[in-house]
Amino acid sequence: MHMPALREDLRGLWLLVIWDLNRMKSRTLFVVMRVSWFALQVSLFGLALSAMVRFRAIAGTNLDYYHFYLFGIYTSMLFSISVSKAYDIAEEFEEGTIEYLLSLPFPRRVLALGRSIGGGIASFLFTLPMFAFIVYLLGSYDPVALTVSMISALAFSIGVVGFVLTVVLSLKSSDSTDIAFGLLDAILVRLSTVFYPALVLSKIAPYYYAALVNPLSHMSDLLRTIFFFEEFKAIAVANPDLMAAYVFGLAVGLSTLAVLVVEKAVEGGGWK
Amino acid sequence: MVAKAIEFKNFTKVFGSTIAVDSLNLDIYEGEIFGLLGPNGSGKSTTLLTLSTVYKPTRGDIYVYGHSVSREGDIVRRYVGIAFQEPKALWIDTPYELLEWHARVVGYSRSEAKQVVKEVMEQLNLWEHRKKMFYQLSGGTRKKIEIAKVLIQRPKVAIFDEPTAQVDVITKHALWDIIRGLREEGTTVIVATNDMFEAERICERIGIIFKGRLRALGRVEELKDQIPGGDIVEIQFEGDEEKVKRLLDSLSEIGKYQFSDHRVRIYLNKGEEKAVEIINNFTSLNIKVKKVMIQEPTLDDVFFYFTGSMLKEG
Repeated sequence: MHMPALREDLRGLWLLVIWDLNRMKSRTLFVVMRVSWFALQVSLFGLALSAMVRFRAIAGTNLDYYHFYLFGIYTSMLFSISVSKAYDIAEEFEEGTIEYLLSLPFPRRVLALGRSIGGGIASFLFTLPMFAFIVYLLGSYDPVALTVSMISALAFSIGVVGFVLTVVLSLKSSDSTDIAFGLLDAILVRLSTVFYPALVLSKIAPYYYAALVNPLSHMSDLLRTIFFFEEFKAIAVANPDLMAAYVFGLAVGLSTLAVLVVEKAVEGGGWK
Repeated sequence: MVAKAIEFKNFTKVFGSTIAVDSLNLDIYEGEIFGLLGPNGSGKSTTLLTLSTVYKPTRGDIYVYGHSVSREGDIVRRYVGIAFQEPKALWIDTPYELLEWHARVVGYSRSEAKQVVKEVMEQLNLWEHRKKMFYQLSGGTRKKIEIAKVLIQRPKVAIFDEPTAQVDVITKHALWDIIRGLREEGTTVIVATNDMFEAERICERIGIIFKGRLRALGRVEELKDQIPGGDIVEIQFEGDEEKVKRLLDSLSEIGKYQFSDHRVRIYLNKGEEKAVEIINNFTSLNIKVKKVMIQEPTLDDVFFYFTGSMLKEG
């Protein structure tokens, strides 16, 4: 059954996306719990927090911390769920299904891309109810804003899963995976503009510069400016075009890295 | 002249400080059923997993129809299908979903996949289990799902890593028929096994692998003929085993021998002639001979002769 190479590759990519989507059913309880937590978090804690926080007037804009907080918490949730793909891949190593995938007639680049895209789509779909809840709370239903923000979220998720795939396949250890991604999740969320704008802590240079290059900062500020440009343009880490380029560039770059690692270095066995 | 399907050229695989396979040189011919015989940990699975590109060779290479496993893995994977020793699936997978996905991966359309999966599952008595989750299945059923993957794929090179482990006797024979059927279709089949009986029943040629090295290669009858004289004298006795050992060590015509619960199997030439002499020696040492048998070697004996170990000790 010979097909032109590109069509074969695309078919392989599609089948690998289905592989990841099929695995969503093993995470149902996890996701239900996370969505429930999220709904509570944004409804109660977010409102309480925004009542306590007041932005000093910056460039004459009227900032609402609740708007700021909603997109930040969503970004951190999207990131956490994408990173949790590491545990799925670790489980696949332990069950031996990684070795099964490595034996199949996919080119390695297709395997890497397919798992990055499939994992990204699955993670994005998991957070879609959360995104829908935010949109409902904001009451903002602009179709262009919705489309652009969802595409950005999907790209972000694919990039993160690509990175996760690279790291897990290189570490090949449950303990190292737990430690690495636990630390990453904690540090990246805090050294970003997920919960506070970079401008507020500009006097703390390490935080400030880390926040400026942190992908979570770009993702959360991009979402804020897509929906409330005038409100957040003064405090975003960069202009929207640059932030969008960063997010999409990350997706392409990290997926490419995953392809390189899988093509050159990955083999079965050796899981600790 | 039959073409070579697979060539191992100084293939070596090292994990950390452990040499799992050491300088394997071996040719497997198109359309044959080749057996890789050895105990657990001998390097069989490592060899097969490298052949199917799951592992990469540390040194040397393997060629499948002229394509290198190291450099042309994408091409090699189109030729090869493997039924793993341990079934590979997530606990939530159902056999039908897993096999249908596998069928689509190996090139079937959606409708073709449904049809071929049903046919193969019915052939292996798996259809009734199609909707159960993997964790609900017995070891034998999971093993059959591995076999089903290869039957669906119909690759040019079919690899079975201990295909009948954990299955019942009836299924074992059915699987052997299926493996022979693949060969009739022109598939090159490689079977890794630690079951002597299985190796003798279905394999045309056998490679004995032990501690990572190929110790013997050839048709079963050829390997038996390689044991000097081809005779085995088995003596059941009563008496001191140490005395018997010292006696046998002093006799120059004896090659190897092997003790087991007051029985000794002695490998030597001219068994019928020498047996009388040996029995006389036993008697002179007051060792009572209860039973004497002279026979041609089994594959167990072949394994012992080439490795110095019994298969179950390895």
